[in-house]
Amino acid sequence: MKYKIGLEIHTQLTEAGTKLFCDCDSNYRKYETNTNICPVCLGLPGALPVPRRNPLKLALLVSKSFDCQIPEYMVFTRKHYFYPDLPKNYQITQYEKAGGIPVCLKGILKYFDPDHLTWKNVTLRRMNIEEDPGKTEYSEGNIILSEYAYLDYNRSGVPLLEVVTEPEIPTPRDARKAVEYLLLTMEYIGAINPRLEGSFRVDANVSVEEGERVEVKNIGSTLDLEKALKYEIFRQSKIVEEGGKIKRETRHWDSIRGVTKPLRSKEMEEEYLYFPDPDIPAIKTEQLLKEAMSNNFMTPETIMNRITMYGVSQRIAWSLITVKPAAELFLESVRIGSDPKITARILAIDYKGLLKKSGKNIYEKSNWPNKQVLKLLSSLVSSKSYTYDELKYNILPKLLDNNYMDLVLPEKVEPTNLIISVINEEKKAVEDFISGKKEALDYLVGKVLKKAKGKAIDPKTIRKMIEMALAKH
Amino acid sequence: MKETAVTIIENLRNGSVDIEDYVFKKIDIIRKKDIVINAYISIDSEDFILERINEIKRNMVSGINMKIPGIVVSIKDNISTNFLPTTAGSKILENYVPPYNATVVEKILKEGGIIIGKTNLDEFAMGSTTEFSAYGLTRNPWDITRVPGGSSGGSAASLAYGSCDLSLGSDTGGSVRLPASYTATVGLKPTYGTVSRYGLIPYANSLEQISPMARSVKDLALIWDVIKGYDEKDATSVNYDFKTINNKTINNKFKICVPNEFIEDSEQPIKSTIYKLLEKIENEGIDIEYEGRFEKLKYALPTYYTIAFAEAASNLARYDGKLYPVSSEGFSYKEMSENTRRHNFGLEVKKRILMGVLALSEGFINDYYIAATKGRRIIRDEILNMTKHCIIASSVSPILPPKIGERIKDPLKLYAMDIYTVVANLAGVPALAMPAGFYNNLPVGIQFMAGPFEEEKLLALGSFIEEKTGLYNLIAGD
Repeated sequence: MKYKIGLEIHTQLTEAGTKLFCDCDSNYRKYETNTNICPVCLGLPGALPVPRRNPLKLALLVSKSFDCQIPEYMVFTRKHYFYPDLPKNYQITQYEKAGGIPVCLKGILKYFDPDHLTWKNVTLRRMNIEEDPGKTEYSEGNIILSEYAYLDYNRSGVPLLEVVTEPEIPTPRDARKAVEYLLLTMEYIGAINPRLEGSFRVDANVSVEEGERVEVKNIGSTLDLEKALKYEIFRQSKIVEEGGKIKRETRHWDSIRGVTKPLRSKEMEEEYLYFPDPDIPAIKTEQLLKEAMSNNFMTPETIMNRITMYGVSQRIAWSLITVKPAAELFLESVRIGSDPKITARILAIDYKGLLKKSGKNIYEKSNWPNKQVLKLLSSLVSSKSYTYDELKYNILPKLLDNNYMDLVLPEKVEPTNLIISVINEEKKAVEDFISGKKEALDYLVGKVLKKAKGKAIDPKTIRKMIEMALAKH
Repeated sequence: MKETAVTIIENLRNGSVDIEDYVFKKIDIIRKKDIVINAYISIDSEDFILERINEIKRNMVSGINMKIPGIVVSIKDNISTNFLPTTAGSKILENYVPPYNATVVEKILKEGGIIIGKTNLDEFAMGSTTEFSAYGLTRNPWDITRVPGGSSGGSAASLAYGSCDLSLGSDTGGSVRLPASYTATVGLKPTYGTVSRYGLIPYANSLEQISPMARSVKDLALIWDVIKGYDEKDATSVNYDFKTINNKTINNKFKICVPNEFIEDSEQPIKSTIYKLLEKIENEGIDIEYEGRFEKLKYALPTYYTIAFAEAASNLARYDGKLYPVSSEGFSYKEMSENTRRHNFGLEVKKRILMGVLALSEGFINDYYIAATKGRRIIRDEILNMTKHCIIASSVSPILPPKIGERIKDPLKLYAMDIYTVVANLAGVPALAMPAGFYNNLPVGIQFMAGPFEEEKLLALGSFIEEKTGLYNLIAGD
């Protein structure tokens, strides 16, 4: 059954430094309840919103990255609804009707599909900047059982960039990849840390053939987005197949149960009383954008082009790009002469694997070695002093503990004698291997590695050498 | 020589008058008279004032230059102060003490002003008589059976009975000029953006300005000089370099025009008083032109009230019982906010919120709010054109100060009182109201409206006129 997917992605500009209209911190997570607040973000009467330059510049850079039509002026509007966590009972946003002008009017979200190693497009309807509300917390965890609700305004006024796509995304997987690419781009621009809890939320709308549009709200991760869409398409298709009709409604994604649940049916359009905020004059975009562009900014696409230019495959390049410090380190070290392919392999596969295995944060720049070390390592392999596997098994693990130390390179060892002595000592294992027990080989390799402790040795070569030696038996 | 803020500062500086004696004389006046007049909602404690006086004395000794040291200032209660409650005349903000000071308050404190108390106003500045306050009405010191005008009626009355030297009001559609004309004081609505609105509890953001009041134009110039200027905390604030104009060179520089519509529909006593004054000015050599027309004046009131109500409905949404001391109980947020608003907003405020919501609603917004913004542009353009070649003179109010209770019964009659004043707010231009004379012992005012940033021109003209008429520093009951 045919279907259409459209997305509304609310991204927090967590890295903006300030809130949208005051100098409180954009990253509110580290504060005690109601301590990251001021008269402006509390909406106290008489306190006035003054747009901060950095959030606006970041939003303009995101718009620029997706080929948006950026209007000459932005105009903020007020959207009214009564809610406890909304201090003024209106949200300052950029609704296009009623006189508002958003930061981006139409753009193209060109995203990379790593499954098929291709670039794809989805049309962006608009992007608008708005303020996040505060948070309501209930004493018993939910509204029904709780006698009290607690309001925390630390988040109130944090800049949000709402990105709205046309309903033309082909599959749930594509929806996920498009959002991941958007977030990655914003991470490279320095607008968001997408790994912070609650830093983005997605509302997805789905309509199957001939059905009305159903909106699924409250999707908090890209994995959940894919799941929620699959579920919703399945649910709607089933209703249609059984002869039913899909009504326009809003549903809620329950990530624990993995289902969407009805929230409310939209019988009437809500009345938000939009009008331009009289406290905020129209904002010229040209100068802001100029300032924003003066710091060279890179998108995943420009980085992909650079990395593949060095002869690195798209798959490995993508693996680098998804981890910003790795991609940046790659570019820095090839610039000073590291071998691109070896460096890419170290960063994208083996060192990343080691970091993950040891439980270290791969997104933390300080957990990665510096560019000089990488240059040295790649030269060891390119000059054939060591094989790649010798490097991988003997040198990289040592880097984990101290990635800036002066590396003491392991002594090379001639393994033939070691192998002979192991074969002589381990008669039982040798017999087992000859009689067909393949695991015995692992044991023998292990014994050789043990004897060569501390020296550069390559387990794959050892394995081959033992096999060859035993084949003669 | 009459005593004005200008002469008082001199005496306080040279020590011939002691600040403490001076300030406590004012407090005595308040104690005696405010029981009847009710110009103030709250007054500083004596300890607080003493501490402030000592601070100013210390500053004077250490040679810190202050523009208004020891001068007693009253401030409208919709301007935020962190040392006195700021209620906006509403029950819904009872006991609310803001955690911050408005920019203008900071400036007055820095320049040595003594903020003695907060003055009464129509709830959220919505009214023209100061009868719509949750803290009781204010009476006109010149005739206590009459209103002092509004919404800054408390500020005007506080000056008129001599309890302070200078005052700050706010002017959304005439809210300092109308009370000035009813109390023989002066009020200046500055060019939009020249005085920071930071800390002003909003009624209609795009129209209003914090506005100075005084008993003479020369005093007004003092406080105007203190409060004006760019403020990074207000995005609508503008940076403008004002040049003082010498009022000795006034005659050949000024042309005044009196468009028919701006005066003809006023009551006879108003017209005759104003024409008499204009004749006097003309005899002093100022060119006056009576031929001009301003036919669009009839659109001014509907345009003004539509925009004001729409913005008000939005601004007042925040008072729902969650962040401010006043809160009614309810079983849900919806019930709590409904009860809070039902019990603590006054009737006039509720009316204006409802009309504002209507003006912004789907299906109505084009015919009301959007139409009004278009009307506003037309009126503004015409005013900008006219003020390019003359200062517009007009009535301030079409009527003499009404009796208490007389106007508030009929909203249309009430709103009609603002016909001559709303134009300056719609156009964003400065307008000065000052005494033109008296009729049966009731003050009559005149308004002068100039082009954007021409405050200094208005002040020079006003100062010139008050010198000729002697109508300044008038205190009721003196």
